[in-house]
Amino acid sequence: MAGEGGRDVLVPVGDSETLRRTVTYAVERAYASVTEDADEGEVTVDTVGTPLTLHFVYPARWRTVEADPADVESARTLLDRVVAWAREDLDGLTAEDAPETVVFESSIVGTNEYVFSPGDFADVIAGYAAANDVQRVVVDPSFRPGGSAPILRSFEAELADRGFDVLEAPVTRRTRRSLPFTAIGLPEFFVVFSASFLFYLALGGWHVTDPYELITGVATAGVVAVTLASVALKGEVPNLRFVAATLARLAAYTPILLWEIAKANVALAYVVLHPRLPIDPRMVEFDAAVWGDMPVTTLANSITLTPGTLTVDVSRQHFLVHALIPDAETDLLDGKLERLVRFVFYGRESARIASPRERLDDREGES
Amino acid sequence: MTPIEILAAVFVVVGTFFGFVATVGLVRLPGLYARLHAASKSDTLGSVLSLAGIAIVLGVSTESLKLVFLLLFLFVTSPTAAHAIARAAKEEGIEPTGEDARIGDEGGES
Repeated sequence: MAGEGGRDVLVPVGDSETLRRTVTYAVERAYASVTEDADEGEVTVDTVGTPLTLHFVYPARWRTVEADPADVESARTLLDRVVAWAREDLDGLTAEDAPETVVFESSIVGTNEYVFSPGDFADVIAGYAAANDVQRVVVDPSFRPGGSAPILRSFEAELADRGFDVLEAPVTRRTRRSLPFTAIGLPEFFVVFSASFLFYLALGGWHVTDPYELITGVATAGVVAVTLASVALKGEVPNLRFVAATLARLAAYTPILLWEIAKANVALAYVVLHPRLPIDPRMVEFDAAVWGDMPVTTLANSITLTPGTLTVDVSRQHFLVHALIPDAETDLLDGKLERLVRFVFYGRESARIASPRERLDDREGES
Repeated sequence: MTPIEILAAVFVVVGTFFGFVATVGLVRLPGLYARLHAASKSDTLGSVLSLAGIAIVLGVSTESLKLVFLLLFLFVTSPTAAHAIARAAKEEGIEPTGEDARIGDEGGES
């Protein structure tokens, strides 16, 4: 199967600066592999009859099951444009009356599930690939579905794990403003630079009039921004109003978290110092209704810091938590922390989503 | 002693107490995961409280600002480290010990 059906190539598509050139590359590769076969004399009437298919797949990035029609519309538009580009590239490669060697298909996948981590995206891509018998994937290096949080593995690695032949398109991100070493834009650079500069000054005692401090600060912040801006911001400049709102809600969240931590420690101290050691260790699994790497990381760390619970493993929104004391499990499934984290990152409305226990009951009713 | 110093002393004493709890927990609790609880929670609170106590004594200054940053970083890194250890343990196939060690939600809950 892999030899025959494996000729097809899949290209995950998303908004990225190098999408245009990735398409060109994928078309060239596909065309080359068809013609290579021909050169080796392997092309029979049969294989010409079934041209290589280039699948353009758009993994849905909207976060709710009910998609916003505008999002779907823009995904469709993007796919249409990609196919048009591909056709254009192919026309440039082939003679006019040549038989069809490469055909294109486009599709939106993952609309029915929560996808946010690279692994998630890889899963929906793998699902599509299995259904269409595709082995080879051409990825756009600047398309980072699910972000590039260090705690999660990269999209390419996740795809390679699933047995695909992953080929990274040799495109470098267009450097719109020529900055050394990295391909970050000016806004990203500026955000990271100012943050590091202020941090440097603050640590140095805020001697804002001292030229020495200023010069070393600029140098340090420059190095930090150039080397780390793409990591720190995942290549996106955050929306300032959104960040401000998140920070404000985070400030409200902190005292609650501190209180929970205090309670956790008193409870734990009681258990640890109790002569009979009344613990009840167990693993609890649940799916948290939070999406995105920052919220998930926050929730995971909050869980670790609060009543007798320790986050063991997180894969997408699926949490594996070790609970030490009996009450801990109850607290966890009541979803207080989860609700708070949702409040911090998505605003007040989202805090009303059902608790893990209610969702668990729902799911058991279904299955 | 000024009230500020008393407050700071309370912080440091309570912090030390939790540091002590962490140590006792590390020794007494059975199994890797349970011990990690002691390491990730009590230890964090212990060091954070002690640092906060020192910051209170120093008042508003560069040094206390640094302490506050240190405190924040501890809050972020300590659970992350605990999580990393726990995940590594899980991937090594280490089972949580205890009478009732089992995977929670699938086995039917009481």
